[in-house]
Amino acid sequence: MKPTLLALLFVAVQQSAVLGIEPVRFNRDVRPILSDRCFLCHGTDIQESGLRLDHRDSAAVKGFEAGDADGSELIKRVTSLDADLAMPPARSHKPRLTPQEVDILRQWIDQGAEYEEHWAFLAPESHPLPPTNGSKWTASEIDHFVLAKLVQNGLTTADDADKRTLIRRVTLDLTGLPPTPSEVEAFVADRSAIAYEKVVDRLLASPRFGEHRARFWLDVARYADTNGYQYDLEREQWVWRDWVIHAFNSNMPYDRFTTLQIAGDLLPDATAEARLATGFQRNHPITIEGGVIDEEYRTEYVMDRVATTSTAWLGLTFQCARCHDHKFDPLTQRDFYSMFAFFNNVPEKGLNGFDPKEKIASPLADQRIGQLNQALAQVDRDLESKIFGVPEQEFESWEQQLAELQGSWQQVRATSLSTENETTLRQLDDDSISASGKNPDQETYKIAFRTGDAAIRGLRIEVLTDSLLAGGSVGRAPNGNFVLSEVVLSEVAADQLKPIKIASAEADYQQQGFPAEAVFDGETATGGWAVDGNQRALPSTLIITLDNPIAKQTDVVVTLLHNFGTSHAMGRFRLSTIGPHRPLPLEVLQLRELSRNGNNVEAQREYRRAVASRFGNRTIKGLFAQRDNLLSQLASVNRDIPATLVMKELAKPRQTFVLERGEYDKPIKDQPVSPDVPSVLGVWPDDAPRNRLGLAIWITDQRNPLMARVTVNRFWAQLFGRGLVSTPEDFGSQGAYPSHPDLLAWLAVEFVDSGWDVKQLFKTIVMSRTYRQSSVVSPDMIASDPDNRLLTRGPRFRLDAEAIRDSALAASGLLDDRIGGPSLFPYHPHGLWQEINNRPGFSRVYPHSIAADQLYRRSMYTFWKRTVVPPSLATFDAPEREYCVVSRSRTNTPLQAFVLLHDPQFVEAARKLAKRMLVEGGDSLDSQIAYGFQLSVARSPNVREADTLRAAFNQSHGDFQNDTTSAHKLLSVGESPRDESLDIATHAAMTNVARLILNLSEFVTKD
Amino acid sequence: MNLANEINDLQMAQTRRHFLRDASRVGIGTAALATLLNSSSAQAKSTPSLAANNGRGYGPGLPGRPHFSPTAKRVIYLCQSGAPSQIDTFDYKPSLDRLEGIDLPASVRMGQRVTGMTSGQKSFPVAKSFAKFGQRGASGQWISDLLPHHHKIADDICIVRSMYTEAINHDPAITFFQTGNQQPGRPSLGAWASYGLGCEASDLPAYVVLLDKNTDHQAQPVYSRLWGAGFLPSNHQGVKLRASGDPVLYLQDPTGTDLLHKRQFLDHLAELNAARADVVGDPEINTRIKAYEMAYRMQMSVPDLTDLSDEPQSTFDLYGPDAKVPGTHAANCLLARRLAERGVRFVQIYHRGWDHHSNLPQRHPGIAKEVDQGSSALVLDLKRRGLLEDTLVVWGGEFGRTVYRQGGNATTYGRDHHPRCFSIWLAGGGIKPGHSYGETDDWCYNIVDRETRGVHVHDLNATILHLLGFHHEQLTYRFQGRDFRLTDVHGRVVKPILASA
Repeated sequence: MKPTLLALLFVAVQQSAVLGIEPVRFNRDVRPILSDRCFLCHGTDIQESGLRLDHRDSAAVKGFEAGDADGSELIKRVTSLDADLAMPPARSHKPRLTPQEVDILRQWIDQGAEYEEHWAFLAPESHPLPPTNGSKWTASEIDHFVLAKLVQNGLTTADDADKRTLIRRVTLDLTGLPPTPSEVEAFVADRSAIAYEKVVDRLLASPRFGEHRARFWLDVARYADTNGYQYDLEREQWVWRDWVIHAFNSNMPYDRFTTLQIAGDLLPDATAEARLATGFQRNHPITIEGGVIDEEYRTEYVMDRVATTSTAWLGLTFQCARCHDHKFDPLTQRDFYSMFAFFNNVPEKGLNGFDPKEKIASPLADQRIGQLNQALAQVDRDLESKIFGVPEQEFESWEQQLAELQGSWQQVRATSLSTENETTLRQLDDDSISASGKNPDQETYKIAFRTGDAAIRGLRIEVLTDSLLAGGSVGRAPNGNFVLSEVVLSEVAADQLKPIKIASAEADYQQQGFPAEAVFDGETATGGWAVDGNQRALPSTLIITLDNPIAKQTDVVVTLLHNFGTSHAMGRFRLSTIGPHRPLPLEVLQLRELSRNGNNVEAQREYRRAVASRFGNRTIKGLFAQRDNLLSQLASVNRDIPATLVMKELAKPRQTFVLERGEYDKPIKDQPVSPDVPSVLGVWPDDAPRNRLGLAIWITDQRNPLMARVTVNRFWAQLFGRGLVSTPEDFGSQGAYPSHPDLLAWLAVEFVDSGWDVKQLFKTIVMSRTYRQSSVVSPDMIASDPDNRLLTRGPRFRLDAEAIRDSALAASGLLDDRIGGPSLFPYHPHGLWQEINNRPGFSRVYPHSIAADQLYRRSMYTFWKRTVVPPSLATFDAPEREYCVVSRSRTNTPLQAFVLLHDPQFVEAARKLAKRMLVEGGDSLDSQIAYGFQLSVARSPNVREADTLRAAFNQSHGDFQNDTTSAHKLLSVGESPRDESLDIATHAAMTNVARLILNLSEFVTKD
Repeated sequence: MNLANEINDLQMAQTRRHFLRDASRVGIGTAALATLLNSSSAQAKSTPSLAANNGRGYGPGLPGRPHFSPTAKRVIYLCQSGAPSQIDTFDYKPSLDRLEGIDLPASVRMGQRVTGMTSGQKSFPVAKSFAKFGQRGASGQWISDLLPHHHKIADDICIVRSMYTEAINHDPAITFFQTGNQQPGRPSLGAWASYGLGCEASDLPAYVVLLDKNTDHQAQPVYSRLWGAGFLPSNHQGVKLRASGDPVLYLQDPTGTDLLHKRQFLDHLAELNAARADVVGDPEINTRIKAYEMAYRMQMSVPDLTDLSDEPQSTFDLYGPDAKVPGTHAANCLLARRLAERGVRFVQIYHRGWDHHSNLPQRHPGIAKEVDQGSSALVLDLKRRGLLEDTLVVWGGEFGRTVYRQGGNATTYGRDHHPRCFSIWLAGGGIKPGHSYGETDDWCYNIVDRETRGVHVHDLNATILHLLGFHHEQLTYRFQGRDFRLTDVHGRVVKPILASA
């Protein structure tokens, strides 16, 4: 079996013309051959020997005699055995034409060698529906095109998919999640004619629809949460992602969706949301590498925008014309830089080019506030029951830990006292230190001491009142106040002062605007901690926790800076230390005091909460962590809106030149260009401005031949696994010819005529009979339509990475379906970020979390680091997002098996799924197993499957009864608590059954 | 399993399931068909079917078939990230003794752009090497005392002193070296090798990446794109073998399930999947069953791979005490040898920390010591096992360093990035041993006769592919309508460094 022979057979399958079914057509049959083998040297860019084959007039001169294949030079050359004459020549490294390909050229020349303009560069026109001889199969226009093609090829349609398969398919396709058993049963039970349409309408109205569509767009838009390049530090661009979700959910017309992302900032009524949309054009990587040349990278960003915009909306490989005229398509280098000129006017830099950016609230903010508050209330309820529901002895054990940790403060006896200006410091018998003498405007105190026989981890500063101070208060300022600007701790080692890092600071009282944390913010000139000493003559306490302990018997210097001015220095204070444990939070201690008053019920509750938050079990700690997250997210919706990278236009545009070989430093000064679009793609709209807005108007103009086709093709591919054009990134001459050109045109025209209604388009496609076919594959189909190019059956392909994880979360009941917001940090193997980059200040440890709200949200919200793609997603072919990607690989590998088998997320999902099977799945083992199947793959197992699963359960059950340690281990994977009311061996055995189900090929496949 | 057997196996499987009625027409089914199409250069489809993606790499695919008889069956690439100074390692320049302290003349600099880090510097005083050089081995190759263990492999390696590149900063330069392009988006060298050659091992990936633990606090990071698959099917990307945690991500079952139970589990799973395949007829399900089987084999083989207890004391004598410390260069070099023995096609090791813009004379020796013994032991070890013959070893950074000082004084200076000349070495796999190639000028700033004797990054990559049996112009993959290759439209095989030359 030789590859060449197989290759021929393969071509034979692909090209119906060879089978003699249809006459040869230039665009479908001839252009691919000429483009691939001839245009490189006889095309747009180069015309060797003066021969140009991409235009009929010039080709006819030297290439062929229309109607006379045998007499044509073209045929002679491609069939010649003489190495000097043979085309393509050996030096081109292009394969010779196959006999079939030669045959196509012969037939074409004999038929008159008619050229057609490249199909994709002609505006789509709606063709009349092809006749289907009154077939009853067709349910929509789409089906007419598909059926006609099948009949032409001597093929037939498949049966309809059964209802369970269909609802799973359409639910996964429209929302990225599987249907629930009740949704399935309701659909099965609904015998009405519009049962399916009701399902489709429900799914289109679901907020999950917009999330799922946005998820695809994130690849196209190379959205990520880091900057790419070198250290790959973080950015906050998620508000833009919220915008995309909102746009799809509100069914924004696609022309507006397009315009806003290309030029929202240039609209006459550029609202904040319109400006936010332009984040699309700034999602590209941005470098911070110190040595780079600014203009080089600024140029790359503009290049990226041209490539991304061309790929996303035009399906053009425009970037091929960066260095020279396009080899295959009628796009010149000048065309490229004319397009470049649209994007070259951003007031941005190449190095650290993070401006322009703008703080704009998420369009999902209101929705999120509601959801966050709801979640917060739930967490508080859960906490309430966990904290107050525990047996008293457990609470006492927490208190015991508190007592053990508390230790006692040791007052510091200084070894030396000094000041920078002229204040005098004295230590009194009670170890307090008193300031006297000159009272300078600003002052710095230095107190040296030596640690005792234990390491220290905390420092306490008690600020004391003194009758000698103004108002008997605490400070030396004329009004009795002080401001402690900064506290600096150093350790004396080898005669050098080594700074000691402070982890936190808190105080029992702080003046508004002068918080405790200000004493270690690195800002020494302004700010600081104060206690309203001018009106409140009371002692106060500041407690500082160190990042790491200071060893015993070590010399330490405490430096206290008072830089506020007007003598705002402390008057009398005492230092104490504690260790080796961290000091206890003041709050807990205060609450304990208060709670000892038997009547103060509120304080007792608060005290119990405070103790639980620090010493409670893992579940309680997880809930508290979740509470903190929710509060900080609420804060970010309300106040701390991140600044999103957006587009702006320079008042005076940059002059763009053609760049020699595409190099940033080689502008060809006598080739200035102005913003323009390639003439081959149609004319510039008369009244459009010559800027990005004009470009958007041109792209969304219904005369644009590419935009609607490219878009519907990508949507089609999301549903069918491959586009009607199988090269979604290339609609040019080298791209694939559409399997159904008239259908593609019809869909494009419909889409435009509908007012670019995305939901309507999806509805049209999923309502078709074509989409609803069964995807069962028969040997005949494999032989006649191996890739389902002709749509002999329904779609069947492996789900994308995100849908696989989301399906597991959904089936197990773990899914937290709140919408939008900042990116999240679900389970992640330890050490991945640090192993590629551990430079201090330029790297970070992955922030592992035990809080549920970080762990179980949809995968589209997973924090996307370009240089370390979330590994379980990457294993299922998720891209880096360093550049625009319109179709992912779809592989099937052993590493994927590892993820489904061993990723804690999937193990945890299995044990939660098992719990649902046991609790919700009825009383018998069979019904429980069936329920697990229904939750996961929307059907019940057949006899063979049920037998296997039952056997698996029984075997595991026996094993786990004898080995509860293993059962415990299995049931403790993941952060969610185990339901302790379930028998442990049963739960573990059922978890193994659930693991089998989540590892089924069917589970990761849409069929 | 050889090609004929694999095809036979596939045919049998297909026939058993009655997938193909007319075997003479389509032969062995689309999966294997697409595989074979991939192996002939220009036929790759831009969106291969699911099955086609598996035709290569470590999936249940086929060993690849090069264009001509290769001299190297595998590659071990020791990437020295951050860029070692050629002046202080392999490029002996006695001429610098008399040029010490002299400002580099513009006539030598020839308009070379400099990085943002020295563009503000007023003068560019030459700093000769702080290291001592001597002639080593019978071949008398000049190697500095910074790499004393390398003296032992002088007769095995070919030092190329006329490397040059276009990039002057780390990210674009290392991306250029590893993918043939300065900007992200192209497949890595190892991915091309995996794509071209497929996998020899049945229980390990074709392309494995090892990261040495970094000790330098200013080191440059690495990025997954350096071992990424770009537009190639993503199963060609490098698989990291990690020194801590799971050696391969998600390899270990977090529940500690033993292999016996795992076997039972997988048998049940295979039965369930087969039951489904019988109903829906999807050949992809059979591919997935095979993938789980291979995962099972990997789970057994990886612990065996990383367990060094079967190594004799002589191994540790050779690699040094570091070889027992996971994540060191020596340990990773030893692992690389074990991977090579087990049929892995491409092993990429990254060592970071060479980027010394200040205090280079103090800092370079430390990094050199970290890699010296491991790198040289690898060559000696491969040689004594007869593996060096068909294993290519490559050692080098992403560019060189400047002959002139960056900042500091005569002892605290650093060296900035230098793209116009630097040194790397290659060994084994058809490379001429004990040989030096290329020459730099007296200033160690420019290559002498660059047009004829310079080795551009694309030339190096073309040569590596050549040694693996590929015409670099013909190992292509169609994407965006274009037949992409590692060397873009450039590159020429450096024939004088081949053993056959």
